Amino acid sequence: MVPPEPGLSYKSVAANPYAWPFDGQWSSADTALLLLGLQQCAVDALQAREAVLAARDLLLLAHEHGIAIYVARREARPEKLASDDHVAPAAWQWARDIALPEDAHIITHAGDNAFYQTGLENSLRSAGIRNLLIAGLPTDGLVHATQRTANDMGFECLAIADACAGTTPARHAAQLRITTFGNGLFGAVADLAAVRAALTPS
Amino acid sequence: MAVLTSSWPSLRPLDIRRTALVIIDMQVDFCAPGGWVDQLGEDVSNTRAVIGPISEALAAARAAGMVVVHTREGHKADLADLPLNKQWRTRAHGLGIGDMGASGRILVQGEPGWQIIPELTPLPGEIVIDKPGKSSFHATDLEDQLRALEITCLVVTGVTSDCCVQSTIRDGFERGFECVLLADCTAAVETDNHLATLDILSAFGGRWGKISDRFAFQQAVSGGGKGA
Repeated sequence: MVPPEPGLSYKSVAANPYAWPFDGQWSSADTALLLLGLQQCAVDALQAREAVLAARDLLLLAHEHGIAIYVARREARPEKLASDDHVAPAAWQWARDIALPEDAHIITHAGDNAFYQTGLENSLRSAGIRNLLIAGLPTDGLVHATQRTANDMGFECLAIADACAGTTPARHAAQLRITTFGNGLFGAVADLAAVRAALTPS
Repeated sequence: MAVLTSSWPSLRPLDIRRTALVIIDMQVDFCAPGGWVDQLGEDVSNTRAVIGPISEALAAARAAGMVVVHTREGHKADLADLPLNKQWRTRAHGLGIGDMGASGRILVQGEPGWQIIPELTPLPGEIVIDKPGKSSFHATDLEDQLRALEITCLVVTGVTSDCCVQSTIRDGFERGFECVLLADCTAAVETDNHLATLDILSAFGGRWGKISDRFAFQQAVSGGGKGA
């Protein structure tokens, strides 16, 4: 498939609570995929392989269309490590199902927010990014905290529900419901299939 | 509504000199008749129901000489600090931020609807934070002011629990503040979303914030004396 010309908008995504993005304008020139917390330790703890496979498909889809890929992972500073955070180094690696493209931007953060004390905002702004596709683990932790900050910064965010998993299924569902409250307080929510459909020429 | 846990002070005894009571967005637009939420046709009974409990917590904090922080969500009159998507979403929802309503322009600084409700008017010397976003830390000097006062613990109240309260607790945690939510001093427009917020905060053993109530708070600030 040939990527569309930069600046040419894709079709809007059938999302909840509104067709995303709000102004109908998204393309590889102004949109990035932000993948969060796709580390094997999180996948194991949350039993989230299904979501990771959806995230992998989303990654492939975005890459195929020339959409910039940003991946964030948590790497606790030694002084911040709590006793229950000690895990084998291999578990901090990317999820086994994920293969990152060479040009992926990697963000390392210490806590539960990919923007805090990282260069993520500057990197996105200098690349002209206005729209963010967001997915990862856990929905009600790193993913939502990061989306809230992105939203306060003015980025137009779309959470890809089936490429996220929560600390429980109920919290996953509730966090996404809260995302869409008030006509999208924190952005919109869609499934991978809806993003794929929007990127497929009609 | 049942308080899920009353597990605070969780890690160490409360040091009221290093603790601030934070009251989020108790503004006419969110919790008074004629305000924005009311004009949207939504029910303000949940957000009004916490005015009394917050007043009690505030009285205890003032009596103990604690640092008190009030926040107000709002935008400049020229809306230069209002993201286009935030304006669009609220307009599509029925009444946009910056548009004229029954209590002046919605969430615009200085307008009647933007004011803190009279029951909780800040006293001189209390910190008032004007914030353009959901998080009290976004584009404000709240963190600097708290650090200057050597505050390490935030007791959080106000509205709405699922929105600005949750954002502030998450950002407070991220910055190393120990956050405690008083569950009987916060509410959401939708009760389901309020209860879900309490459940979410219990993830990882309360990693982002602990949950308590005003009775435990009153007891703690009065040095373990009688509860209310």
